[in-house]
Amino acid sequence: MSAAPPLEIPSPSAPAFHRFRSALGEHVLVVPFSRIYDLEDDFSRRIDHEDHDALGLMTALSTPGTGEVPLSRVPLPAPQSISLNVSSSCNLGCSYCYASRGGFEGAQSAVMSWEVARQAVEKVIAGSDAQGPVTIGLLGGEPFVNRRLIHRVVHHARRLGLTHRRDVRFSVTTNGTLLRDSDIRLLRDHAFAVTVSIDGGAAIQDARRPLASGARGSFELLRQHVSPLLENPGSCKIAARATVLSGESDLKQRFADILALGFTEVGVSPLRVARGANRFADEHWRGYLAGLMEISTAELERARNGAEIRLSNLSIALKQLHHGAASPFACGAGGGYFSVAADGNWYACHRAIGDEEYRLGDLGGLDARRREQFLLKRHVHAQTDCQQCWARYLCSGGCHQEAASRTQSSCDFIREWLDFCLSAYCELSAARPAYFGRQS
Amino acid sequence: MIDAPVVKLLPRNVAALRKGQDAKDGTRLVTGNPISTRLESGIGNCFPGLECDLRNLERRFFPCLEVDVTLNEISVVAVDLAAAPAAVKSGYLSKRSLPVLKRIDASLRSGQTWQVDVLHGDLGPLGKKWRLVIAELGPVTTGTRKPPPDAWTAIRLLPEGSKLSLTVRGAHSREAHHLVGRRARYLDDQGALAAAFMPGEMTQSLCSPWTHDFRDCGCFYWASNHPDIVKPPLPADTKAGPEWNSAVPWERSDRSLDKPPARATDSDPTPIEMDHYAINQRWQELNFVLGGREQVQPYTPEELSSHPFATRAELLAQLRYAAGVELGVIHEYLAAAFSLRSPQDLTGALRQNVTAAHAELMRIAIIEMRHLRAVNDVLRSLHPDEHFKPALQIAAKLPGLDPGTFRPLLISQADRAAINAFIDIEKPSSSVDGLYSQILATLNNQGTVDQQHAIRTVMAEGEDHFETFQFIREWLSPHQEAQYLRRRQMTVPPKGNEDHQALQEFYKDLLKDLYTGYATGFPEGGEQVNKARNLMVLPDEMQRVIGRICAQGYLVAFDAIKDPRFSPVAPP
Repeated sequence: MSAAPPLEIPSPSAPAFHRFRSALGEHVLVVPFSRIYDLEDDFSRRIDHEDHDALGLMTALSTPGTGEVPLSRVPLPAPQSISLNVSSSCNLGCSYCYASRGGFEGAQSAVMSWEVARQAVEKVIAGSDAQGPVTIGLLGGEPFVNRRLIHRVVHHARRLGLTHRRDVRFSVTTNGTLLRDSDIRLLRDHAFAVTVSIDGGAAIQDARRPLASGARGSFELLRQHVSPLLENPGSCKIAARATVLSGESDLKQRFADILALGFTEVGVSPLRVARGANRFADEHWRGYLAGLMEISTAELERARNGAEIRLSNLSIALKQLHHGAASPFACGAGGGYFSVAADGNWYACHRAIGDEEYRLGDLGGLDARRREQFLLKRHVHAQTDCQQCWARYLCSGGCHQEAASRTQSSCDFIREWLDFCLSAYCELSAARPAYFGRQS
Repeated sequence: MIDAPVVKLLPRNVAALRKGQDAKDGTRLVTGNPISTRLESGIGNCFPGLECDLRNLERRFFPCLEVDVTLNEISVVAVDLAAAPAAVKSGYLSKRSLPVLKRIDASLRSGQTWQVDVLHGDLGPLGKKWRLVIAELGPVTTGTRKPPPDAWTAIRLLPEGSKLSLTVRGAHSREAHHLVGRRARYLDDQGALAAAFMPGEMTQSLCSPWTHDFRDCGCFYWASNHPDIVKPPLPADTKAGPEWNSAVPWERSDRSLDKPPARATDSDPTPIEMDHYAINQRWQELNFVLGGREQVQPYTPEELSSHPFATRAELLAQLRYAAGVELGVIHEYLAAAFSLRSPQDLTGALRQNVTAAHAELMRIAIIEMRHLRAVNDVLRSLHPDEHFKPALQIAAKLPGLDPGTFRPLLISQADRAAINAFIDIEKPSSSVDGLYSQILATLNNQGTVDQQHAIRTVMAEGEDHFETFQFIREWLSPHQEAQYLRRRQMTVPPKGNEDHQALQEFYKDLLKDLYTGYATGFPEGGEQVNKARNLMVLPDEMQRVIGRICAQGYLVAFDAIKDPRFSPVAPP
């Protein structure tokens, strides 16, 4: 596969560093490659006063080290990860579902056939890089509507992994209400990463995520069907994912209600793109940030005392800051990740099934030129409003599907949240280095 | 030396730690000290020196022995027993000398003193097989085989590696021994001062002049930052005419500022200068000197007057051209250097002057090779985030004296016209210096300290080259061109000349190695760059072919190459 030409290097006036404080003192984040340093007061003042030598040092630290890929590159790795949209329907009827219950506004009318799934799985495993794991994700609609296909795909992929010597991993996003014992065994035995969509306690869940018929009761169904897995997860990893609608201010309570079901990890996500009045507008971000920080502050206190952080937004951010995650792309869409529709088309993203711009190939193969164009257009250097932002390699412009909803307020939220996480990282890594394991 | 910022950056996350441990960052590129701090521009002599005392080079003339040398006495100061086995192994010290060295070492430690009584050895131009009784050396020397006038000169004349034996004697006893070995080397295989010399040894005996010493000392003895011949302070209110740019004595007795002082002369200290008594009394009246001129007002450094380039693309194009100019002048200087006759075939002052001219032309050509690397380093540092392509295309034309003008490459023998052309191209504030001024002005706005320092060093060394070419012109001026050139009108070897063809192949290989090395970056690319360097310096590679071309009386020249990586580049 030919390499895409490298994009223009960032404008020299783009901030190379971001100064921040924590309880420990002064720090700097070197924006490219997300390097974090503690600073002596004198040097922090020199940076703040734009001392020539100090700025020169920041620029020097911005260059790629051995093994680091320049951030202007558009990598075109072998696809290592696919999601299969195995079902086109759902037993729930959430109003804000991006997939319109799996039908994608008519773009996906049939369930995925075994033949489409088999070819996709074989293709990704055969073409993958042996050095990295291969991930097969299962999505819908509600994936367990097409239970038979899931079981068949998992067993087939596992066998192929053995013959091709690949580390094949699985993930599934489910509402949890249809899980049976046989499904739970499958999830446990194959070390699934399971994401359960749940928005809060019974009142919230029943209201936000009604049954397809409109009836309430999804919370209880979820509780019944997920509890056995939560009680005995085997080798699988379970997380809850809650969608937050505009103006909702009870994050802390909802977080507690979900934990009460037995989840050990909960992530929250604001609704940014949807029809109707529930999506976030400028005035909603500040309240959401306050809620997120309230939960995070309590979780950090727990972490300092030896416990795990249960808010995955925070735990993932801290982990990524620790390693210096920095990417010009917000996700692997079109790079290492593709989503396969029931009709066999390969899309860059599972949220874009049916969107022609995101269709980059089919079972016959990827269209290299379309893929390059797709990535060039979405590289963070190509986003005008990201050019001057210090958070550009941490946020990377955010979800491609939500790019149109980017506003000054939503970007301010990202920056303030990252500032909070940066300080929290410095403080926690000093108070409890073991949380991050041994640095190597 | 520019002070590096002393900062403590404590890496907090893995990415910061990784950067700190990156070998690529550990080997930070250093542009080197300014030209004014280097040995060749310092006041180094034997009186002793002000910045370097050359006599110290002779303190370790015999392997494993450290001595003090006066006019007719060589005293043993210390013995380096740890180095003795290696010296024996390399053939520089006889095995029989080992127990003698041990004996002297033990004796010195018990407070005894030892000295070298007799030296047997070759004295270079004075001839072979000398037996010198050190105590008998004196300032007046007579006879057919005149001995050197003092012990230091005798040692200085010993060729490196020549056989040597010493008779050493305990100062207050009849105990005497023989030491046999070879004259120790000054430099090691890498060209650095031999490891036997300790840090600080070259500067350990510097002169600390009293104020009135300056009254008697010649120009060559003054510290480079403390000249005795200067430009006078500029008058404050009037527009200074050319008379204010004349060289005047710094220690003149008339200190008035309203008229240009009397000019300096090359006669002995004259009545216009302070006498010994006055210079002590009036020391505080002597002015600070900066930039060659006395300063009596608060000093403001001269601003760079060049305009920066408008765009980054223009800066990059000009840097690539500058690299090509460096390659171009390397070609010119090498052709000139190899057009000089071999000093072995010459005698007297001609021999000395040609030796010096050849050595300086080669030194400058080698410094231009460093400049080529420096410009490529700057270019690389301006491409942190994308592929860097080394700049190794020779300039099709070189900058002329006036802005916007160019001249073709001058591959010529080192006749007077060529040396004048070299003076012109290295002239400050014009030609190549003008090009770098604009590059520096641009980097001053948007570059890093390292980038600016690299270009400043290139410019400062260019000024040194300008002065050196003027010296070369002066050295060669008493002689006819026919006396020092291999031929009056030399040409590039004719087509089909095998040695010329072989040289071209070497040159292509050299450029390819450089290209790979520069493209890879450092330290990883160092291996390729060393390969290129070896092609130039090892006797069996380019040197052999160059020797044959010189012997045929042709110019050493490099043809234009079609490969787009190395093909001639036009001025932007």
